[in-house]
Amino acid sequence: MNTAETSSNPWGHRIGMAVLIILAIVSLLPIWIAVKTAFTDTGAIYTSASSLLPKDATLFNFQRVLGLANPADPRLAKSGLGKIDFLRALLNSVIFTAMVVIPQILFSSMAAFAFARLKFPGRNFIFFLFITATMIPGAVLFIPNFILMKELGWLNTFQGMAAPYALMTPFSIFFLRQMFLGTPAELEEAAYIDGAGIMTIFFKIMLPLHTGSLATLTILTSIAMWNEFFWPFLIGRNPAVQVMAVAINSFRTQSAAGTPDWTGLMACTVLGIIPVALLLIFFGRKVVESIQFSGGK
Amino acid sequence: MLISAVSAHAATEISYWLWDTNQLPAYKACAAEFQKQNPDITVKITQTAWSDYWTGISTGFVSGSAPDVFTDHLARYPEFALNEQLVDLAPLIKQDKVDTGIYVGDLFKLWSKDGKQYGLPKDWDTIAIFYNKDMMKAAGVDPATLANLDWNPKDGGSFQKLIAKLSIDAAGKDGTAAGFDSKKVNQYGLIMPGNPDAYGQSEWSHFAVSNGFKFNDGLWASKFYYDSPKLAETFQWIVDAGKKGFIIPAKDCNDSNAPGLFAAGKGATVLHGSWMINWYKENCKFEVGIAPLAKGPEGRKSMFNGLADSIWIGSKHKPEAWKWVKFLGSPEAQKIVASYAVVFPAVRENVDIAKAAFAKKGMDVTPFVEEGTDSKVTFLFPVTDHASDVVRIMRAAIDRIMLSGANPASTLKSANDEVNALFQ
Repeated sequence: MNTAETSSNPWGHRIGMAVLIILAIVSLLPIWIAVKTAFTDTGAIYTSASSLLPKDATLFNFQRVLGLANPADPRLAKSGLGKIDFLRALLNSVIFTAMVVIPQILFSSMAAFAFARLKFPGRNFIFFLFITATMIPGAVLFIPNFILMKELGWLNTFQGMAAPYALMTPFSIFFLRQMFLGTPAELEEAAYIDGAGIMTIFFKIMLPLHTGSLATLTILTSIAMWNEFFWPFLIGRNPAVQVMAVAINSFRTQSAAGTPDWTGLMACTVLGIIPVALLLIFFGRKVVESIQFSGGK
Repeated sequence: MLISAVSAHAATEISYWLWDTNQLPAYKACAAEFQKQNPDITVKITQTAWSDYWTGISTGFVSGSAPDVFTDHLARYPEFALNEQLVDLAPLIKQDKVDTGIYVGDLFKLWSKDGKQYGLPKDWDTIAIFYNKDMMKAAGVDPATLANLDWNPKDGGSFQKLIAKLSIDAAGKDGTAAGFDSKKVNQYGLIMPGNPDAYGQSEWSHFAVSNGFKFNDGLWASKFYYDSPKLAETFQWIVDAGKKGFIIPAKDCNDSNAPGLFAAGKGATVLHGSWMINWYKENCKFEVGIAPLAKGPEGRKSMFNGLADSIWIGSKHKPEAWKWVKFLGSPEAQKIVASYAVVFPAVRENVDIAKAAFAKKGMDVTPFVEEGTDSKVTFLFPVTDHASDVVRIMRAAIDRIMLSGANPASTLKSANDEVNALFQ
């Protein structure tokens, strides 16, 4: 920040800060309400809805949605509490995310390398097809994919949920291709002259050169897959394979009386947010820088 | 004598689905008892959340993985029956000489069509008034008077006087005082969801029917009477009472937050069904009382609804499934369910067991029981074909009346024409 600018226009600075603070409050308040509700005792929820701090703060909501509460606990017998095995759902989300991200990054980078560096007949045409594929609304693909999964017998399985994403997404290929195109080809050409094959060039030169963008893509894809709802909702209804977002949706109507079990629901939501929040806190700046960098190139 | 060749084959497993977590313990107990009596059958109970339940059942029909037996609902079973997904129980009932006269009221008839039977009734519910005892006392209302409220669409009768007295504005004036500010109300006399559906089970059906309205000419009718002036009068009263500040604004209240608003002390009374008894007891910090619905021009009326268990036509274990359904419809099983004080059993002789079980939990549920066992009070849930379309059309019409101030008579007339066109 230019100190001369600040001292000559203190009001601009202050108004700017005020706007930022207001925006921060508006963005963070709903998350705080969710956190506060998660810590509120179920019996106190209706009388403390307008307070900013949890009333009768308790960890019990987290314990019971994670299945860690003692089954004989009398508090569990209250009607209006929903039943869920959220620990299972979180584990399923981890498995699903891993099953998608690892193959996707690998295959997408291979495809991006092929489009960026290798010359083969029809390369540009095929790449054009990929670009066109990004224009297809995802919703159009749900039914054909569902029928395919049903025929394969992959309903309610992890492979069924991961299949449409595991090989590649057009975005990943496009993003990585741009990254690869952005670096000069001299290094690879030198290696090629020295007798390196395509696979060696790919694994020993290209990938190590682009760890930054690969990391960015991994983080972005992980966050997207962690929050993924609709496809797992169609394919993975069974509680054994339910991912986090689907479990929360199911939990919403799990209490008998029709009114959602708010404290439990918020506990689940907070648990679902935590991994993404941690990822963004530690790697967020790097991600933003990485994307900015690509734009500058 | 007991060397059964039967012991050589593994127990048959039948799958059973339900959505109510509160009833899971009761049905697990029933399954344990059933398995004791039928050692060669095991019952696998799965509880699925309401929003996933029906999609699960329909997908199961299509993909061949539907449960053998499942808890069915009056609004859904007509479409299942039409698509031939349910087993007709009538021949099985006749063959095993099951006594079908043991059920309360017309519950058995609700589940039959054209001589076919699609379920054996297991429970029922009615609607009554839940009220905040502290607010009643503060307003000086004697709870004994609540058993004899009357209502009419013109001036709302003693019911309107009651909710007026219980509505308190920001200045502390109640609805009967001069200068009551209907725009700044802190406590509403009545909490009613502003988005009732085509059947208005807990919102408007009892008012309308007690005013002389009837949905149609009976089960499976193909003509509705939503254009009846008696219904328009009822909605007009609701809208006017809302304008006067006695009912919570329709835009602020829907069926999922209404109980929460009552528990938060935003209103003195709420009309709801007997399935909510435990929820109100546990979530309200104040004492909750139950009073019967007000008597309209044609007496006291309450919608009467009941669940039953159906057998899937694609079940591979139909004889075992029938044994389980027969058991669940029997006094023996319903005695078990009644003792858990979650629902009222369909078998007449077990209703008092439920009443006593609720009393042990501190809830006097007499108003629900008296309404449910009085055939002059109960009117049946309108079972028809095309239920989902009827709901869709009427929801839009009622939303226009409650939320946009549309004229009830004309809106209902055009909606009714649309509904009846479905049956053409």
